[in-house]
Amino acid sequence: MYIQNLKSLALIVLLTALSFSCKKLIEIPANPSDKIPTQLVFADSADVMSAVTGIYNGFNAAGTVGIHSGAITRSTGLTGDELTPSQVGDPIATQLYQNAILPTNSITANLWSSAYIMSGLYQINVCLEQIPGSKALSPSLKNQLIGEIKVDRALYYFNLVNLFGPVPLVTSSDYSMTKSLPRASIDDIYKQIITDLTDAQKLLNPAYSSPGRARPNLYTAEALLAKVYLYRGQWASAEIAATSVISSGQYSLNKDLNTVFQDGSSEAIWQLPAIGPYNQTAEAQIFVPYASSAVPTFLISPALLNTFEPGDMRRTNWIGINPISDGKGSSVPYYYPAKYKNRNLNDQPAEDYMIFRLAEIYLIRAEAQAEQGKTTAALADLNQVRNRAGLPNSPATGTTTLLSAIMHERRTELFCEWGNRWYDLKRTGTIDAVLGAEKPTWKPTQALYPVPLAEIQSNPFLKQNPGY
Amino acid sequence: MKLSVLSIVVPGSAQRYFYKFLLVMKITTLLLIIALVHASAASLSQVRLSEKNTSLEKVLNSIEKQTGTSFFYDRKDIRDIHISIHVNNVSLKEALDKCLGDLPLTYDIKDNTVFLSKKVTPLLDKVIPAFKAIDVHGRVIDEKGQPLPGVTIKIKDGSHMVMTDSKGEFNLKQVGDKDIIVISSIGFASRQLNVATELGNIVLIVNSSKLDEIHVIAYGTESSRYATGSTASVSAADIAKQPITNALMALEGQVPGLVVTPSSGAPGASVQIQIRGQNSLQNSLTNAGKPYDQPLFIVDGVPFAPQNNQINKLGSLANNFSNFNTFDTFGGLSPFNSINPADIESITILKDADATSIYGTQGANGVILITTKKGQAGKTRVETSVNSGVNVNTRQVQMLNTQQYIQLRNEAFKNDGLTPNNIPSDPAYAPDLFVFDQHKNTDWFKQFLGKTSNNTDVHASLSGGSLANTFIISTGYTRADYNFPGNFGEKRLTLHSGFHHKSADSKLIVDFTTDYGYDHNNSAGDPSLTKAVLAPPNLPDLINPAGNLVWNYKGVDLNSYQYYSYLKQVSNLQTYNLNNSLRLGYQLFRDLKIGIGMGYSRLTTNESSLNPASSQNPQYASAYASFANSGFQTINIEPQLDYHHFFGNNELSFLVGGTYKKELNDNTQMQGYNYTDDAFLGSISGAGTIFASATNNIYKYVGGFTRLKYVYDQKYIINLTGSRNGSSNFGPGKQFGFFGSVGLGWIFSQETAFNKAPPFISYGKLSGNYGTSGSDGIGSYQYQAFWQPVSSVSPFQGIRPYKPLNLYNPDYSWDTKKALNIALDLGFFHDRILFKATYYENKTSNQLINYILPSQTGFNAVLQNFNATVQNKGLEFTLTANTIAAKEFSWNTTFNISGNRNKLLAFPGLAESPYATIYTIGKPVSEINGYKYKDVNPTTGVFEFYTVNGAVTSSPTYGTTAQGGDLVPIADNQPKFTGGLGNTLTYKNFSLYFFFQFSKQTSVNYLASIYSQNAIPGTLTNEPVAILDHWKNPGDISSIQRLTATTYSDAAAAAYSFLQSSGAYSDASYIRLKTLACSYTLPGTVQKALKLSNCHFYINAQNLLTITGFKLGDPELPGGLFSFPLQRTIVFGLSADF
Repeated sequence: MYIQNLKSLALIVLLTALSFSCKKLIEIPANPSDKIPTQLVFADSADVMSAVTGIYNGFNAAGTVGIHSGAITRSTGLTGDELTPSQVGDPIATQLYQNAILPTNSITANLWSSAYIMSGLYQINVCLEQIPGSKALSPSLKNQLIGEIKVDRALYYFNLVNLFGPVPLVTSSDYSMTKSLPRASIDDIYKQIITDLTDAQKLLNPAYSSPGRARPNLYTAEALLAKVYLYRGQWASAEIAATSVISSGQYSLNKDLNTVFQDGSSEAIWQLPAIGPYNQTAEAQIFVPYASSAVPTFLISPALLNTFEPGDMRRTNWIGINPISDGKGSSVPYYYPAKYKNRNLNDQPAEDYMIFRLAEIYLIRAEAQAEQGKTTAALADLNQVRNRAGLPNSPATGTTTLLSAIMHERRTELFCEWGNRWYDLKRTGTIDAVLGAEKPTWKPTQALYPVPLAEIQSNPFLKQNPGY
Repeated sequence: MKLSVLSIVVPGSAQRYFYKFLLVMKITTLLLIIALVHASAASLSQVRLSEKNTSLEKVLNSIEKQTGTSFFYDRKDIRDIHISIHVNNVSLKEALDKCLGDLPLTYDIKDNTVFLSKKVTPLLDKVIPAFKAIDVHGRVIDEKGQPLPGVTIKIKDGSHMVMTDSKGEFNLKQVGDKDIIVISSIGFASRQLNVATELGNIVLIVNSSKLDEIHVIAYGTESSRYATGSTASVSAADIAKQPITNALMALEGQVPGLVVTPSSGAPGASVQIQIRGQNSLQNSLTNAGKPYDQPLFIVDGVPFAPQNNQINKLGSLANNFSNFNTFDTFGGLSPFNSINPADIESITILKDADATSIYGTQGANGVILITTKKGQAGKTRVETSVNSGVNVNTRQVQMLNTQQYIQLRNEAFKNDGLTPNNIPSDPAYAPDLFVFDQHKNTDWFKQFLGKTSNNTDVHASLSGGSLANTFIISTGYTRADYNFPGNFGEKRLTLHSGFHHKSADSKLIVDFTTDYGYDHNNSAGDPSLTKAVLAPPNLPDLINPAGNLVWNYKGVDLNSYQYYSYLKQVSNLQTYNLNNSLRLGYQLFRDLKIGIGMGYSRLTTNESSLNPASSQNPQYASAYASFANSGFQTINIEPQLDYHHFFGNNELSFLVGGTYKKELNDNTQMQGYNYTDDAFLGSISGAGTIFASATNNIYKYVGGFTRLKYVYDQKYIINLTGSRNGSSNFGPGKQFGFFGSVGLGWIFSQETAFNKAPPFISYGKLSGNYGTSGSDGIGSYQYQAFWQPVSSVSPFQGIRPYKPLNLYNPDYSWDTKKALNIALDLGFFHDRILFKATYYENKTSNQLINYILPSQTGFNAVLQNFNATVQNKGLEFTLTANTIAAKEFSWNTTFNISGNRNKLLAFPGLAESPYATIYTIGKPVSEINGYKYKDVNPTTGVFEFYTVNGAVTSSPTYGTTAQGGDLVPIADNQPKFTGGLGNTLTYKNFSLYFFFQFSKQTSVNYLASIYSQNAIPGTLTNEPVAILDHWKNPGDISSIQRLTATTYSDAAAAAYSFLQSSGAYSDASYIRLKTLACSYTLPGTVQKALKLSNCHFYINAQNLLTITGFKLGDPELPGGLFSFPLQRTIVFGLSADF
């Protein structure tokens, strides 16, 4: 009997094991130790700060080339009249230089996708959705965070609309809603940009919320606002916004051109620390050759090189030279953009990635004033920038010559910086004349980049730009 | 040696077993477990005896010596018996009859063994006088003395039939004394005996027919004879003949329906395995993201922790650099390198629902069961094998020499209307024509991939034990070198052991297996190394006589050609693999067993990738290193109840069990930068800046399963399986599902009516099954939207940034595969020739995929169920023939061929979906959409294509017809059919095995290789000599367009379109002499003198010969003209047992 009991017991144990609540057996911890779900992120103030910081990390100041880490400078430099690729350049870059961009071009595809994906607009939209309801944050911190994130969103859309024209205006993180959004009109996009920036104006303080000038303050919002109004031809508004920045007293032009892009630059309005394996800016890694014997990948175009006035210190300070042997005993100089000079981790001093600086705001205000006929004030702002570059006061008189002097100054001051030249040619309507003369195959439709093929494939509601 | 062990029989406790108990007590003395005495081959000798009053034992010894027969007996039965005998040249039987005379002893001869036992007169027989009708008792055992349950005992006229019980015993009542008894069982040769009251021990010999070979299936074993499912098995013998280091490569061409694809020829490279076609859709717009359905891998009952995933996290030479249209998720180093193929007993492939439904959501892509070797009872044996050999490229590519190259370059410039010059930023810059030596000539292909590399393999095992306790311990060392310059290779050390115990009452069975493997792969860390073959032949030396790298030649920067720098950037992967499996079984009742299987599988990797400053351009040299540690672990516990019952001519087996599985996967990575000295590189301590990251994953699976199998009259089979299981990979409410299958079989050759059929047909079965299985292999936690700290950057102003990982979609569940399988089995000439034909049709719907999204949503894909249906159907044929089995000569043949046809049956809203340019309804999911290629325009010399309207253009438009583009289906990447033909011939001591593997397929051709990777002919890159046949002048007809020196000419643009056209695909069918194995066994006398056994010399060769129309490169590795080529291996070896 004893053995039988044992057997019965074993059977019972087995059957119990089998009928044991299976749900319990496949329970796993709510989250693994290397990641946390959205609801936890926004329930803790430190996590929220990390999520917001992720947006700035998404700018990739020191990482791979993305929309806000050198790609705009490189692409518009090639499609415009600032850069030429050297022979060691790749066919993808050649498409840009020849303004024969295929919808499959990986550089323009990356400009589009790196704006929207993950730490780009997606992360911005999630933060804007979650922060207002978060119980972990004080009202003042909420205002600060929402304000700065809105500036970030405005910057993304400002660049997207200038590169591609109409783009999908995504302000939500819900993929079921956003996956089939068509392209919004340029006016609607600018409306959103201005709404975001004027909201930010109300929410942000004049002081920077963290050390340095890494995160937008009130004047960062106004600097971008001034630029946006300028592009929209709202001269008075542009002037007001620019004046607010200039008269804040927080910023002054650096005397030494070589310190403009360094950490702690006094003219910096928005300057991201370059953090990555090599702790140097992505732009330095794109433009500065890896060795003094190497041909730079992208060369300053002869047109740009020749536009500098004699004595312009920017030509000597912001343009680098590699002398390359021509094989016949002499060497030929190769010019490359050198606003950022430090390529490697060991290079000193530290350079930060400049998004906005005071010189541009002077030029914005000069143009806005000139357009309103305030020539004296405009000339004064213009000369601030000229004098710093070691140039005498501008001889320009009258609105037309003054405006053309300002455009010239924008070209030499802001060359290879954030696509200013390309955008200026487009917004002033001079692109066909200028590039038509420079590039024999130029077509007006080439002023807009193609919508990347992969995007049209994965969202049939997107329509291609004309000419592609 | 002779052992006489009295077996102990524990009587059943129930009253109803009382009679049985008495009987058992009486025959206890018969239940002997006796060791084997080796027999020499002289059983046909005549016996000559002349003894007077000699002990019986001595007489028997004498017979043993003369005839070479072995005797089984219990010494106490013959103790004190003395006999006198005189016989001259009589047969064994006559001698025995005479010896035993009237003694109370009986005997039974089977082959070379005589079973001697006491005549038993049951108690009842003593009181009941013998009737004409008698009751027969007996016990059926196998050659090892183990009882055989379920054996059919019937009278030849079919009037009576019973089956043996779990002790192998039977009682056949009321039998005529002149009747003949037929004893038959699956897997054993039938026997016929005359009726006797007590038949004693009846030994059945294992049937040599392939049909009755027992192979492993899900939670059990079966023979093909009574199977209703589709399984196939590869044995240790098949593996041993192939000089391979990865066991998965041994499956190539051996199993119908199984496609084995090596990712490269590099030692340790991954091998992809796909059973019966691709079931799932791809998850990205590019082919790079194409998933490859992987079966579930189980080693000794334990799911192999890393499965068949790439195990290296850092770069390796084995990683694929984006080859055009190959699977990029596929590459890297294989986890199976840490298992020694010589330790594998069998690999079973479970293909259909009948075989895999029991695995529920893990079984949709098939299951592969790997069983390691177990100990054999008997004399303790040492088996050794040593071999060593060489590897060379299967197909060397002949590249242009300097003279040809310079001519090519000049022609290219001329075509472009450019004059080559020495201005670095000029489009016509040509340092190869102006600066480099115009007469220097280096064959970079030979230099980098042409080396002959070595292979060494040593394996030794020790096994033995008694019937109750057996053991095996084996160890192996394998080394395979890379065939590029430098000391790179793959080394493996393995230790395998297995222990088996059976309790004295035979009720408790314990099996414990443990496998340990250490593998070290060191190689150059970057697959770009192989691009060295494209270097111009007149490129200056890249290393100076002092062995240092050269970075500059006469002012020309050599940075982009410095391929030797990769050789100094060493990547190391050390793998530690542990597999433990414990199985306990206990016989609860006569027909009921309870058991539990427990296992632990762990694979740990330790990686480093070192980039010393000395390997980099001195102008920006900065030493850095990466380190990674990964762990893959599986713990599984599987209790089960097994019921096996025979009644009348019914056989019923019922299995119910459960599975609990937990998988853990963790990975830690560290990047160290800013090292002050190369000497510190091996450690993270020397790094000035460190970034570290870690991931953890957990997966749990629980399931209850059952299988009911019923065989009636050895004719009709029904097999039902069911499984309910849950997976932690799914969100709340979506975790559990039910899967099941129904299988039916009819062995029509057993029907009486079939007796009229031609006599050469010995077996015929029709079987079929239908069922479901699922797949949940999508990773943990995907049903929540997660955020992760970014660890590759320094904190941003003291704050660690987070990034989002995925979109939020909690509502997905497994996809469902419905599978139908119908098979016809035929056996001819006593099953010496076996033929099997199978038709299957699988449909996978409710696809669980990463559905492609535009980047405006924030991610490129979201995990969801999508109601597309993919069908795979096909035919498989297998033929095995034991054509000649003469004494000195034998010939065995195996042949298989199978073809799979894939079709996208349904895809709601395809035209408006991201998949519009990828798939076409009614076409295979492996179909490539591209441009229809015309030819090279004889006038312009540029590639031309057809537009969708039939017009001819050099610049076709991307997009489907509906989108206004010129894309049409152009080629199907999946093989049309594959198979293998193997022959084994033995003559006396010689044995020859040759195995041909073949595939009928279409693949990217060498032109795709030439025009991909920015290696456009005419630019600063070398080409195969095949390029010489290009278009030169108007009117030329050629398949290669005119040369161009720039990457942006119209010819370069057409080259880009060409890559997406049908011109980049050709027939890549091939027949390959995959394996050739010859061996010579030393004559028995020599072996005896050397005290060896099974001693043979062998030569094994892999990939010796290829018959193909594929122009350049290896058709088995298409499109990989410049990737690491497959190897031809020849090894010489010796193996012997002690």
